[in-house]
Amino acid sequence: MSNIVEINNLVKTYENGHIKALNGIDLTICEGEFVSIIGPSGSGKSTLLNMLGALDLPDSGSINVAGYDLVSNKNLNVFRAQKIGFVFQLHNLIPNLSVVENIEIPMFTSKLSNSEMRSRALDLLDAVGLRDKASLKPSKLSGGERQRVAIARALANNPSIILADEPTGSLDSKTSTKILKQLIDLHRSNNVTLIIVTHDMDVANLADRVIEVLDGKLVNAGDNSLLENKINLD
Amino acid sequence: MSFLKFIIKNPFRRKNSAILSIVGICIGIVVIVALGGITNGLVSTFEETIHAGGADFSISGKETGGSAYGTNTIDANWTDKIANVSGVNEAYPIYVVLTSVGDDYMNTLIGIDPNGTALADLSINEGRIFKDNASEAILGKIYAEDKGLSVGDSIKIDGEDFKIVGIYETGDSNMAGGVFTSISKVGDLMDDENSISNIYVKVDKGADPQEVADRIDAMYGDNITTVSSVMEMNQMANMLNMLQASSWGISLLAIVVGALGIINTMLMSVFERTREIGVLKAVGWSNRKILTMIVGESLVITLLSAVIGSIIGVVLCSVLCPMMGLNPLFTPYIFIQAFGIAIIVGIIGGLYPATKAVKLPPTEALRYE
Repeated sequence: MSNIVEINNLVKTYENGHIKALNGIDLTICEGEFVSIIGPSGSGKSTLLNMLGALDLPDSGSINVAGYDLVSNKNLNVFRAQKIGFVFQLHNLIPNLSVVENIEIPMFTSKLSNSEMRSRALDLLDAVGLRDKASLKPSKLSGGERQRVAIARALANNPSIILADEPTGSLDSKTSTKILKQLIDLHRSNNVTLIIVTHDMDVANLADRVIEVLDGKLVNAGDNSLLENKINLD
Repeated sequence: MSFLKFIIKNPFRRKNSAILSIVGICIGIVVIVALGGITNGLVSTFEETIHAGGADFSISGKETGGSAYGTNTIDANWTDKIANVSGVNEAYPIYVVLTSVGDDYMNTLIGIDPNGTALADLSINEGRIFKDNASEAILGKIYAEDKGLSVGDSIKIDGEDFKIVGIYETGDSNMAGGVFTSISKVGDLMDDENSISNIYVKVDKGADPQEVADRIDAMYGDNITTVSSVMEMNQMANMLNMLQASSWGISLLAIVVGALGIINTMLMSVFERTREIGVLKAVGWSNRKILTMIVGESLVITLLSAVIGSIIGVVLCSVLCPMMGLNPLFTPYIFIQAFGIAIIVGIIGGLYPATKAVKLPPTEALRYE
């Protein structure tokens, strides 16, 4: 199985080098893997996720994601549009657009026609069980429903990787379970690599591999032999 | 949903702010359209009057105080004197009197030599020109339609029956509703064959009307004046140019005020949508697309303002100007100017906030509370 993420000696500092958010991270993630990144607040796990999604650039080291060298590549927006789907802690839906229009937003970067965009957005709403809410504004949905729309939006451009930053952080436990189940189902059915940042161990343990970050260093890269076994069993 | 629809929808998220911006820019556009219409109307009326007929300028007595169609007169022999001035090709007198015409107790009757009607810019629409010293008249089309008169009818002028032999049209709004007959007939009616009101002068081909007018002023300036002389034309044209320049000045002011208003609105919009802009960057929107979106939103506001402002400007001007004796004239140029300014304001107003949005690092934008 090929690696979709390859990180070597990744360093990121803030405030003129006084704060080391990432301090020499080495990491590989396989294609189709479900990885959770855990660690206390300020440990560097969100910074790592931002690096994986090319929202931020390292000071040194190399990072290669889905065939893109993120340090040297100048068209990072193309990389984000084609390879990455983000799910944030807050849904971040655009309030004046309907649910289906919100899902179409990432597709503005593609070459799909308006009707193809609409058709794909409705299919994604079907996948998250919200087809009947397509024309509603986000304000008419519950918190869980909004996050499901955000998941559908993350899948809009058929990404290779879904990066989820505390995707259930603002939801109650019952809704969290439902959302996670849906996210994991979509990861499996679409064979998308899923990387979740969380500090909830119950959520983290659902992953094939748990990575622990502390003070900008990888203290536990997890064991992906379980994944190998799981794939062999499948 | 298309990208265009998204851009059109966005500015109205903050309705009050969008409406305030639209009102601000609308005021500027209304002023541009109204002032443009009034200025054009003045220029048009001025040109019609100045270029009365095919004449290059007209002459009246000093004592008339510059009233081209007043009832003050000069001696008829001035026509021959003017005709003999070097550079003058044709000189025809007109005699304008106020007398009873048809049902009107008092109306303008204009006497002119039948051969000089071309200088008065009369084009016969129906019938023919009156004969010299005959009881024949031609009516302005507006007057004839108003009174229900046509060729072959008769009309009483100063108590005498005149046969209507023609209907004319003219570009000179002062004459469009009048009645013409031969100058000798007007002299008969007024019992004063030695008086005239004005002399229309056409200069030789290739001659400079200004030079000829100056020559006449130098020779006879103590007694007569070139009422609509080229010199006055130039003075008037200068005045109208100043009016047009002030119209541009106000347009410039409208640009500055409008641009400040729209910058404020769009900056607020970008500020409030910081996190959303972060999301757009995260889902792969390019900086150019975000810039297009914000400048596009700004243009939506300014173009809508231009449409509303133009309509209000035209309606207001059309209703109020006639009450003040003005005839506004709206040419496509006015609307090109108004929409051009709206587009400039939209681009200037949107560009700065858009640049700010583009420069936002995505991680910072996404962290924004």
